[in-house]
Amino acid sequence: MCGIGLLFAASIPWYRGEAPPGRLLGLPDWVAVALLCYTLAAVLNSVAWLLTDVPDSIEASEEEAP
Amino acid sequence: MTLADLGFWGLGVYLLLLVGIAIVARRARRNDSPADHFLGGRDLGVFVLFLTLYATAYSGNSLLGYPGEAYRRGFSWIMATGFMLSIIVVFHALVPRLRPIAIREHFVTPGDWVRFRFSSEPGARDLLLGVALLMTLALLNFLFAQLKAMGELAEQVTAGAVPYEWGIAILAAMILFYETLGGMRAVAWTDAFQGILMLVGLAALLSWLLAEAGGLGELTGQILAARPDAADIPDATEQANWISTIVLLGLASVVYPQAIQRIYAARSGKVLRRSFALMTFMPLTTTLVVTLIGLAAIARFQDLGSVEADRVMPLLLGAWASSGAYQAIAALIVFLGALAAIMSTADSVLLSLGSIAAEDLLGRSHRDAATTQLGKRVAGGLMIGMALLAMVAREVTLWGVIELKMELLIQCVPVFLLAIRWPGMRARPALLGLVVGTAIAILGVYLDAKRVGGVHIGVIGLCVNILIGSLGSLRRPLAARAL
Repeated sequence: MCGIGLLFAASIPWYRGEAPPGRLLGLPDWVAVALLCYTLAAVLNSVAWLLTDVPDSIEASEEEAP
Repeated sequence: MTLADLGFWGLGVYLLLLVGIAIVARRARRNDSPADHFLGGRDLGVFVLFLTLYATAYSGNSLLGYPGEAYRRGFSWIMATGFMLSIIVVFHALVPRLRPIAIREHFVTPGDWVRFRFSSEPGARDLLLGVALLMTLALLNFLFAQLKAMGELAEQVTAGAVPYEWGIAILAAMILFYETLGGMRAVAWTDAFQGILMLVGLAALLSWLLAEAGGLGELTGQILAARPDAADIPDATEQANWISTIVLLGLASVVYPQAIQRIYAARSGKVLRRSFALMTFMPLTTTLVVTLIGLAAIARFQDLGSVEADRVMPLLLGAWASSGAYQAIAALIVFLGALAAIMSTADSVLLSLGSIAAEDLLGRSHRDAATTQLGKRVAGGLMIGMALLAMVAREVTLWGVIELKMELLIQCVPVFLLAIRWPGMRARPALLGLVVGTAIAILGVYLDAKRVGGVHIGVIGLCVNILIGSLGSLRRPLAARAL
């Protein structure tokens, strides 16, 4: 989660100066950096979801009244 | 055959398919209980749950509003990919704790959590009403935006053969039909079909735009040639707005009633976590794509007005369709995909509205079949009312409508995210926080002070809301109770 938070922080170009943006991967560089951060964050978040335990007590719902 | 002819018949075939799915869903129902109607018998598997989450989360706002916003703001709208991703991150704070309680206690609506968590505490009933009222207002707002978008697209896809007002009337009637007939099962199954259509359509449109421009680098060059400031690095205020939008959307979307009800409706916890693991990539395949589509429109259409900018997607599709017969068919698929996205969100919103109104606002039991009937009737009445409103209020931008909804919905966050982790939170301070936070948000919106230094007024209201709820609970603590 910390890694995802850092990637979100890095996606915003607060660290950039006044210099005009260059190009990276066909996009303005700060846009490409944001996109790379979001891609990495998505991968980390997906792994985190697969590792998250969502307790399952579905059997209890079978007692529900019709 | 022209695009208008294709659109007219394509729309007809699409609606017939929805009717078929609704009939199959009706036959699959087990009983008339609210849990079966509003939650599909709590039996949604990974494939359907993922696609219904996807189709519900990506709506008319995403398909029409976001390209329009990208057109207006330029490359800084890349923030949309971030805030859509943040929603799936924030769900970590809610799902693992809420799911087992919801199953154990047979929850149907979001209000069931409030009823359970604060039980007989003083102020619990008022807090439940406050949360239900805010959610209802937010959902009505959301439904209004979907209806508006449906009317626009129906008019575009048939080149005016189905006018805006008739588009709203026909499509709203169709949603009411399949939802009343098949409940959550019909909604989820049509969502799955609509989600696939949306993914295919968007991928096809982006491929065409990139091929036409000669690649992403060329497309960027064309955008900058048309509007040199589109790639300007956001200033401090815009960066604050970027962070604030991530907070606003990330938190508020987690308490979407329709999202919470899908947590209840999953077949198992394993199904939920797999669905969310897939959902995390959807901002890259959808939000990013619609952002690029909106940016591409900068190079093609100059000087569209604020309201007109919401129509960049239909304008692009019109241009695509006019370039050949195959392109016209492909454009039609995108049109129907966009329409599918809108309808799938509207149907989920309507289903939630019916259940919240019947159970949380009118206080009916979630085990009584009569509650299902009442929920259907209320949903029908609200749908008709909002459809009439959408017909007369056409000139409202979609992003403006979304923001207002989020400012309200985010005030419910402490009652869910904070109360589920902090047993000491009490009903009365939570209610006071909710009321003050909402008042700040509404005042800000209506006094035209939607942002302070780039930060949304709803986020500021939420901070005050949390402060009041926390300090009030600490001041007069109750004995902590086990969840």
